[in-house]
Amino acid sequence: MAHAATHDHHDDHHGAPSNFFVRWCMSTNHKDIGTLYLVFSLLMFFIGGSFAMVIRAELFKPGLQLVQPYFFNEMTTMHALVMIFGAVMPAFVGLGNWMIPLMVGAPDMALPRMNNLSFWILPFAFALLLSTLFLPGGGPAGGWTMYPPLSLQGDSVAYLVFAVHLMGISSIMGAINIIATILNMRAPGMDLLKMPVFVWSWLITAFLLIAVMPVLAGAVTMLLTDKYFGTSFFNAAGGGDPVLFQHIFWFFGHPEVYIMILPAFGLVSEIIPTFARKPIFGYKAMVFAIASIAFLSFIVWAHHMFAVGLPLGGEIFFMYATMLIAVPTGVKVFNWVSTMWGGSMTFETPMLFAIAFVILFTIGGFSGLMLALAPADFQYHDSYFVVAHFHYVLVTGAIFAIIAGTYYWLPKWTGRMYSEFWGKMHFWNSVIWVNVLFFPQHFLGLAGMPRRIPDYNVAFANFNMISSIGGFLFGASQLIFVGVIVHAVWFSKKKALDRVWEGAKGLEWTVPSPAPFHTFELPPVIHDEELAHGHVED
Amino acid sequence: MKQANATIEDMRKRGVRRTVTVFGAIAIAIFLLSLLQGLKYS
Repeated sequence: MAHAATHDHHDDHHGAPSNFFVRWCMSTNHKDIGTLYLVFSLLMFFIGGSFAMVIRAELFKPGLQLVQPYFFNEMTTMHALVMIFGAVMPAFVGLGNWMIPLMVGAPDMALPRMNNLSFWILPFAFALLLSTLFLPGGGPAGGWTMYPPLSLQGDSVAYLVFAVHLMGISSIMGAINIIATILNMRAPGMDLLKMPVFVWSWLITAFLLIAVMPVLAGAVTMLLTDKYFGTSFFNAAGGGDPVLFQHIFWFFGHPEVYIMILPAFGLVSEIIPTFARKPIFGYKAMVFAIASIAFLSFIVWAHHMFAVGLPLGGEIFFMYATMLIAVPTGVKVFNWVSTMWGGSMTFETPMLFAIAFVILFTIGGFSGLMLALAPADFQYHDSYFVVAHFHYVLVTGAIFAIIAGTYYWLPKWTGRMYSEFWGKMHFWNSVIWVNVLFFPQHFLGLAGMPRRIPDYNVAFANFNMISSIGGFLFGASQLIFVGVIVHAVWFSKKKALDRVWEGAKGLEWTVPSPAPFHTFELPPVIHDEELAHGHVED
Repeated sequence: MKQANATIEDMRKRGVRRTVTVFGAIAIAIFLLSLLQGLKYS
């Protein structure tokens, strides 16, 4: 894809401190902090991935082979915590940090120093959490959901709680920063309904974060006082109720799922129009669908608890409310397909990952609909079917979107093109092996294999072996991703143009590649035809 | 032009301060409400 625009601003890092420590540790620049978030997220992705490899290695065949059951439980717990709070969420914050100011014509985030603090809290939070694996008594092993009384066993509760508090503080500060940036820092003329869908998706996600992260903080604070200060919030013997924790946790937990997928919707809504060379189909409908999904996320939490003994009326309400989410989600899927319909499509790596996202996320959505049916959920609950469902949503959904977004904007960040051949190798290896990894888990779950177990009946042996092989190869495929990024950052000879992709629209493509250290110090003049979603009133 | 940019800066500063105050207060209130829920139902 070529574009006629040329410029002579390459490698313009005017204003970037030359001292490494000052630049990266004391940065208040949204691009540098975005880079820090993305690098941190990639590191956590591989740490969390290595825990997954331990899980799949142990489950390669029946019987206990490699690790003790307690360590296996530590691995399932830490894999989830690291992937959710360390890999997926920081990756989206990194993408938001880099791109939101560029997309709305702002010179930086609204609160640059707080931005620095938001990031630098995270390495300490994860050092605290991961250090428990090396302490006597081991790390948290009660699952990422931290259900008491199970999660209160062991000596790592305080570490886990403080780590979660730190992550929560970081997320809330990040969310406030994003809201303040979008609401106050937009260039004149960048009306709310002219903003890119990615910016809209982050605005709505930030509202969700502010609404639910304090609830998680409240829940884990009560866990802490139950463990160390003799309270009985969740202790039945003292007049408390363990199910109360589940209600509070999932009031956070379900919106949390959307915190991890709404920015992915935004990313895909940027990429598909670019490579289909058409404006997004139904811009306003896309924005309202994201808002509807966010609203519905607050009234469906008990579908995670169908088997706990809810009143019948509650089961029916939460079942129908959950099924309702399929409506705005369907709107989005049909709009992505309609955007591609009749477009002049090309299939560069970001588009391949975006198309895979649409197809595979929809599979995860359908299995979610099956789980939403309360009577059916009694069969599926706590089985590998659930594991298959949420990995389709989070791996082929959220992570594929993050990868797509990285390939899409990498030339803008580095000023150099990545290798399209190796990008496509990464894509095809990922898309094949991720299905080998997770699709058989549907069959395992339907056949009755419970989740979070280190050993299983021999009847489940074949599908587990296939799943593990898929897991190892999917994990290995991600090393290609690292290779492609390293090559693009340091070795690629192919310079990127300002408008990297022929069909790309939006303010971020009007600045040079690589994006200069400071951009939009004077607010840009907005031309509707330049915007990704110009002429929305049509 | 300079004056216009100064006005934009002022408006941004005021808006940011207001946004942070409102959403910071909401976050703290929700945290306290969660604890109150715990006290009420345990």
